Amino acid sequence: MESKNLVEKLKHYGLSKNEYDYALKLLKKENLTDIEWALFSSLWSEHCSYKSSKTFLRKLYNTSDRIVSEEGENAGVVDLGEGERIAFKMESHNHPSFIEPFQGAATGVGGILRDIFTMGARPIALANYLCFGESGSNRLSELVSGVVSGISFYGNCVGVPNVTGKTKFHSSYNKNNLVNAFALGYYGKEDKIISSKIKIPGNLLVYVGAKTGRDGVHGASMASESFDKDSESKRPTIQIGDPFYEKCLIESCLEVMKSGLVEAVQDMGAAGLTSSSFEMSYGGGLGLELDLSKVPLRDQTLTPEEILLSESQERMLLTCKAENLDKIEMVFKKWGLDAVCVGHVRKEPEILLLWKGDTLCKIDPNLIVGKAPEYNHEFETKMFIENDQVESSTDLLGYFHSVHGASKEWVYDQYDQRVGASTLLDCSEQIGAVVLPESKRSVGIALGCRQKLMSLNPFFGGADAFLHPALALSSKGYEPWAVTDCLNFGNPLRPEVMGDFASSLKGLSLACESFKSPIISGNVSLFNETEGENICPTPSVGVVGLNTQKVLDDYEPVRSSFQNVGSEVYLLSCRDFIWSGAFLENIQGSGDLEFKKVNEFSKILIEIARSKKSSLLSSRVVGSMGLMGSLFKMSSKNIGFDLDVEIDDERLFSESLYEVVLEFKNSPDLDIPEDFGFVYLGQTKEGGELKYSESIIDVERLKKESKDSWNKKVGV
Amino acid sequence: MSRKIGVVRFLGTNCDADVYRAVDSTNGLEAHWLWYEDHFNINDYDGLVLPGGFSYGDYLRSGALAAKTTVMDDVEAFAKQGGPVLGICNGFQVLTERGLLPGALVKNKELSFIDRWVTLKSESKNSLWSLNEKECRIPIAHGDGCFYVTNSELETLRSKDQVWLTYKDNPNGSVGDIAGVLNEDKNVAALMPHPERAMSTWMGSQHGKEFFEKLLVNKDI
Repeated sequence: MESKNLVEKLKHYGLSKNEYDYALKLLKKENLTDIEWALFSSLWSEHCSYKSSKTFLRKLYNTSDRIVSEEGENAGVVDLGEGERIAFKMESHNHPSFIEPFQGAATGVGGILRDIFTMGARPIALANYLCFGESGSNRLSELVSGVVSGISFYGNCVGVPNVTGKTKFHSSYNKNNLVNAFALGYYGKEDKIISSKIKIPGNLLVYVGAKTGRDGVHGASMASESFDKDSESKRPTIQIGDPFYEKCLIESCLEVMKSGLVEAVQDMGAAGLTSSSFEMSYGGGLGLELDLSKVPLRDQTLTPEEILLSESQERMLLTCKAENLDKIEMVFKKWGLDAVCVGHVRKEPEILLLWKGDTLCKIDPNLIVGKAPEYNHEFETKMFIENDQVESSTDLLGYFHSVHGASKEWVYDQYDQRVGASTLLDCSEQIGAVVLPESKRSVGIALGCRQKLMSLNPFFGGADAFLHPALALSSKGYEPWAVTDCLNFGNPLRPEVMGDFASSLKGLSLACESFKSPIISGNVSLFNETEGENICPTPSVGVVGLNTQKVLDDYEPVRSSFQNVGSEVYLLSCRDFIWSGAFLENIQGSGDLEFKKVNEFSKILIEIARSKKSSLLSSRVVGSMGLMGSLFKMSSKNIGFDLDVEIDDERLFSESLYEVVLEFKNSPDLDIPEDFGFVYLGQTKEGGELKYSESIIDVERLKKESKDSWNKKVGV
Repeated sequence: MSRKIGVVRFLGTNCDADVYRAVDSTNGLEAHWLWYEDHFNINDYDGLVLPGGFSYGDYLRSGALAAKTTVMDDVEAFAKQGGPVLGICNGFQVLTERGLLPGALVKNKELSFIDRWVTLKSESKNSLWSLNEKECRIPIAHGDGCFYVTNSELETLRSKDQVWLTYKDNPNGSVGDIAGVLNEDKNVAALMPHPERAMSTWMGSQHGKEFFEKLLVNKDI
């Protein structure tokens, strides 16, 4: 009986027998209380503990003078000079978004925003990287419309512009869609970075924001499991978001932070009150006394265990000096929110949980957080097969009629891209960009990770997840400044999954290092597996770049489609690796990738983009369907293009790492090193016609068809 | 001396800072915050702007809760006295909910939120809000932007020159393509598009500037 009971408990709390034995050994006890079960369950979940990925994460490139945040904070912060800094991070909300797409995606946005303003930065930009199953897969239209409207609902209401994103389709996501949300926050000269680490004994512990309900209990352990047939039954573990509350929380938190009223702040994310209190305490090396009976509740019947594990949204914990409590309460009251003292900081590094006068639990956070298990799973790396001949699809029309090439306007039209009135480049461009309030310089945001390249070669795929967006930024004059990653993979107990994880991280890290762009924050989402099927390795990456040019009233940014009639178009290339591209099932590749050379390529692009002399009007890093795909995307109903040079089909349609199409207002007089190709392609012309070899494409018509086929193929 | 313009903030308003900047950057105008719970002296102000952006999370109906706040008592008194009031997006919704402007704003025809650049046509001829430009390009960003009035009300609006702006290519199903209206006295004006997001070339257009410059026009016109 006893052992059956234990097996059930282990299953319920998502712990292994070994982990249970290890926990008993740490606590020097014979068995665990209900509260201890709850604590270990959530804090040792993959989601909170990173137990399978930690050894790899430590190797990621993250040393740089630019980094001004401490380790173990909610997001990374980098210095931009002139007194300005930015905090940013990307985070997954995959499992909840598959169970309940609208709320899952909405709370994904809410969660990533809290990671940013918890640190004292005002959120000024959002972006998202979404992956869905192939056209015709089960629930596709429900998932796509649910996720997009969830992001739209939350981001628009909270008032942070969504400036860029990627929407990908691949059969490996049929039963495991991905929702990765990115947020960026800003610090002006006067703004301080707020830490989550408590440092002063005797300070009060204050709960602020929304009341606690039963939503999201066991969310963290749910997100650390593979899905089975009845994942539907997990719906009650999904949190519900309220962007209006979040907006008020942003304003009130930033107000108390700016007034210097708080010491440390931590948001309640995965595993709610448990992880926030334990992380604050462990990070600062001090203890906490937390009276759970003082926590504001939505439902008075909640048990202490549920209060600890609830993932109700829009809540924060902060610490402050006793004399500041009244002032803090007043600020929160002004914004219609509660601020309640629920305990205090203790000198002894122990967490004391109280419930109606009783001590529920007394535990050293180091035993749970610091001594959390760590695994070195077996891994098996894939061999890359080099092809002599790389075949590409030349079916341009087919591509732009498919879900991959279909216009994503339906998605981004639903996002407020301009709230904040500082959006320089919106979702219709290859990168997003916002103007920095004080210096009037601008930051660019670009996301990367291409499934097909990843499945061909995870090392190159991982590198490309950084390099492709980094070059998109460079071609608009933005120097890649720092990086965040969101590592979505399958079941880590499978050696081939861990092999892909290891290879792609190595590629990513080396590529970032060659650019001196540190990886400052990130998140890992494992167990993206349903009924034995694992997702394609998806380390999605957010790269943020800095453009030092001042955005004055008449400033014209470099755009992503042709701007003028009669301008000269060139192709600048560093074409060492060629692959068949995103539209063929059978992916082939040939060649090598030299990071140092790509970095040099990036520097040339930045110089061209910022130079007044050559006056670059638009640029586009060549992607799907090769050069022809890019020329089509750059053309419009008013400005077309005649390809003036003889180029064979293979060269026109294959993809490579890397090349960039550039449109110049005046004839460029550039000194390009011999290592790189620089060829004239032709002139832009009036009217929406794209001409190459013997073919003519009616740009407006194909763009319209491409827009319509989105609705047909996705079913929205 | 600069004209003093009150920018009204409700809980959840999210274009407040953008509008404040747009007002303050207009030569001759000076922006001041007005908080939803507080009264203000209507004689201290030369104009008011109600910014856009999800007051009270659009709960109940967009603008419905904000319309019942303390500050709106004074906004109403200011408007009744003939003072110029500009409502943008959610500010438009608040003004219709308060009964200071005709009609109602309901869910977009396609039911989803739309962020897009649109072309507006200037319709009203003889008010302080009449634009110099015949057409202007300004972005919209709304979920409940479909303007609704009955056919007979539409006729009245037209006959009294209360149709301020129309869409060239109606994005949301608004009756009569209406993007902005005026009250009968022509001192209260509101539009769904966001002029504060069209203040310089890099934003995509400078056509938004004129909307704030209208607050400089003498209110007796």
